Amino acid sequence: MSVTQLPNEHYAALISADKSELPGHGLAWLNSLREKASNEFSDGGFPSPREEEWRYTNISPIEKSQFSLATKAGAVDADFLQGVLLDDCHHLVFVDGFYQADLSSVGELPEGVVVSAISSGLAEHEGLLKSLLDSVVATEVLGFINFNTALFTDGAVISIEENTKVDKPIQLAFISSEGADLSLSNCRNVIMAKASSKATVIETYNGVEGSCYLTNVVTEIVVEPNANLSHNRLQAESLKAYHMGGVYSRLDKNAIFSQYNYTFGAVLSRAEVHADLGEASDCTMDGLYIGMDHQHIDSHTRLNHEQPHAISNEFYKGIMGDRSRGVFQGRIIVAEDAQKTDAKMNNRNLLLSDHAEADTKPQLEIYADDVKCAHGVTVGQLDDTAIFYLRSRGADEEMAKNMLTFAFANEMVERIELQPLRIKVLEQLLKRFPQQGMKIEWL
Amino acid sequence: MLKIEDLHVSVEGKEILKGINLEIGKGEVHAIMGPNGSGKSTLSYILAGRDGYNITQGRVLFNGKDLLEMSVEERAWAGVFLAFQYPVEVPGVSNIYFLKAALNGIRKFNGLSELDAMDFIGMVKGKMKDLDMDEKFLYRAVNEGFSGGEKKRNEVLQMSVLEPTLCVLDETDSGLDIDALQIVAEGINRLRDPERSFVLITHYQRLLDYIKPDFVHVLAHGRVVKSGGPELALELEEQGYAWVDQKVAS
Repeated sequence: MSVTQLPNEHYAALISADKSELPGHGLAWLNSLREKASNEFSDGGFPSPREEEWRYTNISPIEKSQFSLATKAGAVDADFLQGVLLDDCHHLVFVDGFYQADLSSVGELPEGVVVSAISSGLAEHEGLLKSLLDSVVATEVLGFINFNTALFTDGAVISIEENTKVDKPIQLAFISSEGADLSLSNCRNVIMAKASSKATVIETYNGVEGSCYLTNVVTEIVVEPNANLSHNRLQAESLKAYHMGGVYSRLDKNAIFSQYNYTFGAVLSRAEVHADLGEASDCTMDGLYIGMDHQHIDSHTRLNHEQPHAISNEFYKGIMGDRSRGVFQGRIIVAEDAQKTDAKMNNRNLLLSDHAEADTKPQLEIYADDVKCAHGVTVGQLDDTAIFYLRSRGADEEMAKNMLTFAFANEMVERIELQPLRIKVLEQLLKRFPQQGMKIEWL
Repeated sequence: MLKIEDLHVSVEGKEILKGINLEIGKGEVHAIMGPNGSGKSTLSYILAGRDGYNITQGRVLFNGKDLLEMSVEERAWAGVFLAFQYPVEVPGVSNIYFLKAALNGIRKFNGLSELDAMDFIGMVKGKMKDLDMDEKFLYRAVNEGFSGGEKKRNEVLQMSVLEPTLCVLDETDSGLDIDALQIVAEGINRLRDPERSFVLITHYQRLLDYIKPDFVHVLAHGRVVKSGGPELALELEEQGYAWVDQKVAS
């Protein structure tokens, strides 16, 4: 049951403001979609911690900060951009919520494959956007999603043609510029992997360190029969920023979907990853989150096993240092018809300080009788025996602890097959452990 | 090299070592034998510096310095090495990196430059061959998924790479079949050196069939109840530890 809460004056004014500047304003179907979302947001506002699904994450700092939509993209330093872009990818770059054609390089794509920004490609791909927009999101608490639907300024439209493989990964780079302080970027992505296609999409989120902004992003994904989509998200926002992100997906029969979620940035963040699993589909959800200082990182996952014979494997790991807090809420729902489901969920947390906190809440709801479901969670400290062992071989205490912390994260890093992404994740990891002698070669 | 004087140690109020006196000279091999619960492993952990033990009396001198005042890593840098009875698995840290970091830590302490990667790998591979270890172990996580025998071999490999001056081996023979025992013992024998001393802690005589000790000490109920030459180990093997208990009782 949802708990009604009105948006504060600032956001109420934002949502009811003139939308004629937003893309697709002339389209009746889109106007009515935005209108509906605006009305729902006006009635419901942002989620409150009284909602069960938001119990551990209080977004009141976002309400208090009164972020406003950026009106145009700020300048991005060339070196900064270089640090964000992954080698050997098709790139779409968005700055402060607006597509930047001059910074992007889509390059050559196989026939029938669409990789476009909403703002520039709407006329050509309206049908695609219309069929996907708001088609996959299904959650009880829609506050941020409604806000996104009502006000999205841009985003990516991706469609992979049937029986087609896109060799290079597609990177969607979302950047907040230096001038983006107190601004809000609101992008919406839709991704369609048509039958028997194969592709990799990487979303990255970066901002200039020290600046305080809000990213509110929603990605909707459809994976058609026998298609294979790998979706990765690297969140490395400024440590003063706020990030609310959602990935909502639908897997058709025999579809394969792998979602990898790496969270390092933002003072307060949440990533929702939801999947509805069709018959005999195969879903992987892996995550790594690392919190330092006062960071609050919320990973919220849901696997709806709706049809028989589907497989899901979920593995999230978190490291919380200083006064940070990590939240993991993972829910698996196995419907009555979803016989022969095979679902595994695992969440492991490492606490590096007495003031750090991890809240982990696995939930299994099983309505079918012939299924395999397993879940495990742990919250722990570094193993004293292992520290002693390393020290007895000549590693000093700090080095021993760093090695073991790295080793804990390494299990997730090792799974990253894409070399350019792996390097970026390692860079983030190293940034968080700048102590003496930390080296990439340790991993 | 090592001098233990009237060492008393308790854990949670219970006295485990009740006045140990031992002197180990350069190049000597000492075996410490004793039944389960006699305090053998406690002694090895005290030498390596593990937390959780209360040293109530006595002192330990290593080359004239107070060993008990040194941190775990300082002891390693100074040349103390404990081969664990149960080597610890460290998932996520590769054997090669671990060895390299450990060796360079010790070299740095001794004012030596870091070994470059090529020289290091060449040196380690040679030592692995001696221990009949497959090179693939270098790239696996430290001890993770190793069999009991592989873990023990890995301990001896670390020892031969780090070249300590005092080697304490805690039940190194346990979990080894006869082939592995021979290989491990040969590895240890290769390291024997006039400048290097060994303390072999063992329940059974069988390791001593391959590594001949200069001295044997029998530990029981937290005390050294008898010291002698290699023949003492054979005597124990024949008569069992019940004989020690009788001796203590009388």
